[in-house]
Amino acid sequence: MPLALSERVIVERAQMLPAFPTVVNDLLMTLDDDNATIGALIQLVGRDPVITARVLSIANAAAMAGRIQRDVRDMQVAVSLIGVARLREIVLTLSLAEFAHGAHVGRQFWEHSVAVGVAAQELARIGRASVDFALVCGLLHDIGQLWMARCHPLEFQMVRMSREQEPGLDIIEAERRHFGVDHCAIGSVLAGAWQLPPSVVAAIRHHHEAHPPADKLVAATHVGEALANALDLVGHDQASVVEVSAGACELLGLHWDDDLNFLFGRIEARSRFLNRIFS
Amino acid sequence: MGQQLRYLPLSEIIEGMVLGAPLAIAEHGVTNFTLPVGHELTTSNLHQIALRHGEFACVLLDDPRSDEERAAAIERHRARLDRIFARADRSRPAVAGLYAAVLAYRSL
Repeated sequence: MPLALSERVIVERAQMLPAFPTVVNDLLMTLDDDNATIGALIQLVGRDPVITARVLSIANAAAMAGRIQRDVRDMQVAVSLIGVARLREIVLTLSLAEFAHGAHVGRQFWEHSVAVGVAAQELARIGRASVDFALVCGLLHDIGQLWMARCHPLEFQMVRMSREQEPGLDIIEAERRHFGVDHCAIGSVLAGAWQLPPSVVAAIRHHHEAHPPADKLVAATHVGEALANALDLVGHDQASVVEVSAGACELLGLHWDDDLNFLFGRIEARSRFLNRIFS
Repeated sequence: MGQQLRYLPLSEIIEGMVLGAPLAIAEHGVTNFTLPVGHELTTSNLHQIALRHGEFACVLLDDPRSDEERAAAIERHRARLDRIFARADRSRPAVAGLYAAVLAYRSL
């Protein structure tokens, strides 16, 4: 008998997770204004001593790599060394890494999220969509599974056992069997409750669909997950590609008969680098 | 000895490595740093790349494996891909395209 989970229940039980980092929402809201972004970014970073310390540490590493003889203690100097785009990426990833760490997620879960985030980012770059939104979509695409594991560990374990007993069983089907809903639906309810932008909510909601809606962020997340699994970026035994939507690829301008080695190499190298920093 | 192309994060690249593809770094849509394929990277190059927020490069590495060992490695990649795609319908063009593109990349 599956659980009967209403949206209200899903949101209420999310209190078992750490508080969602509001810096993510604040940062996404500043993206449209380049001038506002630098000042706002510095202010946002300054609100959190953990993120501040980490950003200064990364800036100092960048200074050393660039052979600059100075101890970076000022955020303006840090921004000039790291670059605004990279700083946004660091703040988003670091905030969500802290959140994931607080929720005691497994290492493979987080590494997979980072791999999908990087793949979605690179696909968004090709499709001319926001790379920062795409990163957040990828990092949060499986957040519903985190909720399942934390709020209903017994049923979550039963999903795993069902899939072990029936190797062909799709994860969405297995989750619906025990939870009544799947992780995509739960994740989108959470993302809505955390007031994330509608495009991020949609990407989490539809990333497993064979024919996702024609939205570039949904497409980047859907194809990004297929690509992260196909490239075996995490080396997870359960890495699997079941479907990749031709429509989503077309929407992004991704053609499989092009030479994609550079794209794949970039995704693999950046994913490895980010996972080393943030795991 | 053969050679193989590898895409590495900057943190794994050292001086003396040879670029396997041109390196171009752009900021705000403007390319401000380039190095040609075949260029041997110097310490100064690596500092310049870091200062311009470069993240990775394609390098050419010596490959001490025999032809048989290389062929066996490609077969292992193919077998792993077959497992990853076991539940996919590879007659669908997008799925087949993804499979072939990843196998080509793993065969570099």
